[in-house]
Amino acid sequence: MGEAIVITSGKGGVGKTTTSANLGTALALQGKKVCLVDTDIGLRNLDVILGLENRIIYDLVDVISGRCKVHQALVKDKRFEDRLFLLPAAQTTDKNAVQPEEMKELITELKRDYDYILIDCPAGIEQGFKNAVAGADRAIVVTTPEISAVRDADRIIGLLEQEDIEPPKLIINRIKTRLVNSGDALDVNDITTHLSIDLLGIVLDDESVISSSNKGEPVVMDPSNPAAIGYRNIARRILGESVPLMSLNEGKSGFFGKLKTLFTK
Amino acid sequence: MTKQHYVTIKGTKEGLVLRLDDKCAYSDMIAELRNKVSENSLEGLAEVRIHTGNRYCNEEELKEIMNIVHESPHLRVARIQSEVISIEESNRKVLENQSETFIGIVRSGQVVEAEGDLVVIGDVNPNGRVVAAGSIYVLGRLKGIAHAGATGNEEAVIAASWLEATHLMIADKLETMTDELTILSEQPEMECAYIHPNGFIAIDRLQELRILRPNLSTFKGGS
Repeated sequence: MGEAIVITSGKGGVGKTTTSANLGTALALQGKKVCLVDTDIGLRNLDVILGLENRIIYDLVDVISGRCKVHQALVKDKRFEDRLFLLPAAQTTDKNAVQPEEMKELITELKRDYDYILIDCPAGIEQGFKNAVAGADRAIVVTTPEISAVRDADRIIGLLEQEDIEPPKLIINRIKTRLVNSGDALDVNDITTHLSIDLLGIVLDDESVISSSNKGEPVVMDPSNPAAIGYRNIARRILGESVPLMSLNEGKSGFFGKLKTLFTK
Repeated sequence: MTKQHYVTIKGTKEGLVLRLDDKCAYSDMIAELRNKVSENSLEGLAEVRIHTGNRYCNEEELKEIMNIVHESPHLRVARIQSEVISIEESNRKVLENQSETFIGIVRSGQVVEAEGDLVVIGDVNPNGRVVAAGSIYVLGRLKGIAHAGATGNEEAVIAASWLEATHLMIADKLETMTDELTILSEQPEMECAYIHPNGFIAIDRLQELRILRPNLSTFKGGS
């Protein structure tokens, strides 16, 4: 019996879909059987980031309305043999086409065959959010070091605490080391004390996240990329390992210095 | 059978007292009250207190009694006293006087309401709202909105370990916390907000409460 984890944020554009794609890939790299479920009906993206767009035949709404079986709609990522699958969202309808009970049933069915089910939640707190949370056992809240994203994360955590799931965990995405070190951005400590939930990990801002997403290849596949290391660490923590938090203060002489020398070679 | 008096008027040190019998039928009592009041044995204008004893009168009945007494040009009702209140009213009074405790974080969009005092153990985050008919005490950071004395109690206060609220409301007074309030930006620790005699919400050190609002203490005696 697997575990269903919903990845949510409240605010749009903080990297829910990118996080879902990368964590899913990282867990598959660790040898786990993973199914990604895109619940952003009407605005699907997860398939694009994974480079699986042109292999979609059926979608989530087809499965729920009984037009096909679950296994027919699942898209296999060939890079990972039989370990990474995607259940894409429908693009032609809206979020009201699915009800929370139906999602719960679907996720329970998927949990039988997979170790991890990652549910990519749409932005907002309406029907789409309710659907995404319905079948989840755990929740991960993604935020960025911006005050608006942190406010929305706070709202979402409040809503998640009313659901029948484990206390949510936090990922701080897109940390710009330069801004944090100069004191111009919220630092990790500020955010975690404000939200007072456990920190699952941090992901540094990196341009290659965008370029690799555009190529349909999650950045986590590149083991030397700083963002990828963040995602890999988070995946290991999900699996129960204790991995120390990467430090932002090592500066050029430390971790980033090493990386820089690696790139300038 | 001798006629019993359902309504008696007595003069006491504090003034006239109109005692209404609580065993007889309400209609009998009202009829006699009407007679008594219309008797022209009084002069001038006297304030009268009405005792209803162990009879429970609802608001309409109380209004009727008042109106009858006011029909006399010589009587004014100062107060109506009763030995009994309804269970509903009693429960409400208990709720109003009790202190409710919330442990956790009041997050953005959440509202925590109390009918008496409210104690929050945890933070109140921005856009989170705490409302109480009595006072509000936050053991933690108050960074959201707080409304004390929501039913009109101007004596209510808002106290917090860390007072950084965006909006403070006491009874019908509202204060938005801007940078102009230097006391907050400089020293937000252990502060309290109350309605100053000038009618505005003021903020002071928590320790000043014992002077500003001594009645908040429910502790009897001392050592």
